Amino acid sequence: MNDRPPEKPADDSELVIKIRGLKKIYDMGRVKVEALAGVDLDIAANEFLAVMGPSGSGKSTLMNLLGCLDTPTEGTYSLRGTEVSKLDDNELAAVRNREIGFIFQTFNLLPRATAFHNVELPLIYAGMSSRDRKKKALHALDIVGLGDRSDHRPSELSGGQRQRVAIARALVNDPTILLADEPTGNLDSKTSLEVMQLFIRLHDAGQTVIVVTHEHDIALYAHRVVTFLDGLIVRDERQTPKRLDTAAVPG
Amino acid sequence: MGAPGRAVGLGEGILIALDAIWANKLRSFLTVIGNVVAVSSIILVVTILQGVNAEVTKIFTAEGADIFNIKRVGIVFSHEEALAMRSRPRLTRDDARFLRSEATRFAALVESANGNGRVEYGNEAIGRVTIEGRSWEWALLDGTGLRAGRYFSPLETDRARPVTVIGLDTADNLFPGQDPASAIGRRIRIQSLHFEVVGVLETRGSSFGFSRDEFVVIPIRMFERMFGTRRSLSFSVKPHGPDVVEEAMDEARLLMRIRHRLRPADEDDFAISDSSTFLDLYNQFTAGIFAALVGIVAMALVVGGIVIMNIMLMVVTERTREIGIRKAVGATYQQILWQFLVEAVTLSVFGGIMGITFGYAAAAGIASFTPLPFVLAAWSVVAALVTVIGVGIVFGIYPASRAAKLDPITALGHE
Repeated sequence: MNDRPPEKPADDSELVIKIRGLKKIYDMGRVKVEALAGVDLDIAANEFLAVMGPSGSGKSTLMNLLGCLDTPTEGTYSLRGTEVSKLDDNELAAVRNREIGFIFQTFNLLPRATAFHNVELPLIYAGMSSRDRKKKALHALDIVGLGDRSDHRPSELSGGQRQRVAIARALVNDPTILLADEPTGNLDSKTSLEVMQLFIRLHDAGQTVIVVTHEHDIALYAHRVVTFLDGLIVRDERQTPKRLDTAAVPG
Repeated sequence: MGAPGRAVGLGEGILIALDAIWANKLRSFLTVIGNVVAVSSIILVVTILQGVNAEVTKIFTAEGADIFNIKRVGIVFSHEEALAMRSRPRLTRDDARFLRSEATRFAALVESANGNGRVEYGNEAIGRVTIEGRSWEWALLDGTGLRAGRYFSPLETDRARPVTVIGLDTADNLFPGQDPASAIGRRIRIQSLHFEVVGVLETRGSSFGFSRDEFVVIPIRMFERMFGTRRSLSFSVKPHGPDVVEEAMDEARLLMRIRHRLRPADEDDFAISDSSTFLDLYNQFTAGIFAALVGIVAMALVVGGIVIMNIMLMVVTERTREIGIRKAVGATYQQILWQFLVEAVTLSVFGGIMGITFGYAAAAGIASFTPLPFVLAAWSVVAALVTVIGVGIVFGIYPASRAAKLDPITALGHE
């Protein structure tokens, strides 16, 4: 039932993420819920990975662990050679700040802050000077095509634009992985395409992208699809990704 | 991985806090009412007391810091004490003579007694003018100085001559529209007796808004003829120098005990005091007011602090999602703690600054309606600010640590 990846695993030196026997058990008093039941997963640099599965399959738990928002009950998780499963809260915060770029279904922008300030936020916590922050944040906004909207607040932006601000925020600190949780869940199909096009561009530029989704048409854009069920990986397949129409794909 | 620092700078933290205060103006104001009350009462009371202090010190030190007084009764605190002092002997001219001849550290001793009565010149009349009987040595101790004319002489004192030195207001009232100096040589009536004006004194200034220049000074022997010798005299003594004040006071006490034939076990039947005696008493009194103030202010600050803590707990709940976002992008425990602590302190200081403004305005208002001088003590402003910063830290630390401890996953899921 537990299919191994059809291709031989990549060489360890290229691995960005190396997970072995990862378990997460929630203690609900009398009941113990096993959200992850022992997962092995390798992700190489510049992969475009989709994580699929129904609700309660463990994909969100994996997302939290990958994003260093949570620590596993058992098993190891090595991120770029650093064992992060044993780090304390402050060390995890530093990893989130430098290695992870989060993108959420609900965007999670600060509502009272401008697009620029939202994008600048990770750099503030990285202790960067305000001059460097300005340069990097404006550059990230340019990448997502919102350079001219930097002084707009989220309420003054469309849903797609908000998600692009969130993507700019995720990119701004040059993270090792982009971690997107249902990034198109709150967007209409046209805007969803725009956002996926942005992911494809970033991936083509060398970015490692992990998208958690339950939508098959979103997963089609990934190069590899990992499917979860009951806390275990039940399928791990490589595929030829669907490309958007040629005009939309950057040369 | 770099050390997690206090990346959100103080200025940035204050800006976030001011933005939040501005976004919830009414709530912010209600939150800091405790601080406003506490701080404005500090500023108000301190400012008023400073004004009163300045006046009181001026009065008590008017005749000179090194001068001391010998009186029949000193400061009386109770009716029983007053009754006990009724049997004390009067101070007389013979006591003064004895002290003058025996004391070695006295530069001058002034006999004095005060009364009041009617003063007239032509058709002008003033009722209840202070009539000050003085021996001639008063000329040596008087710190005010003459506007015109002269003091009276030893001979005029001893012979009870009808001469007088008058105050500036008395001169103005008796000779309206004329130069006070023109009073010299005129004959005025004090209690219907004729006196020649020999001098006009410079102004003694005012205290609590009342002029102190309505008086006439006459030779003490003349005063005794007019008012009788039944009332006790008081003596003002100027020692040889400021460094022998203590010795001179001891000497005065010893000589008075000899003069009154007191035995070693007997208590003094007279009182010796200098300006510090009254100032000490006054300072005890104001210290009491300060102690009461500190109590009230402390109570207001505790109440204010608890309100701030409550509001900050609410703010943390309201902004749980924001905290989750900040943690997801890499904010550490210390950074979130710092942000909310700065916010609590800013809120508290905001109340403090409003309190300073209100207190200052109230004190300035009182000063403009009363004769009190307006003295804003810089230390009271500094003390108020330090206190509200302290309140912000003490009552902000718990909500801030609640915010900093939030689990990012739970916080992000919070609606």
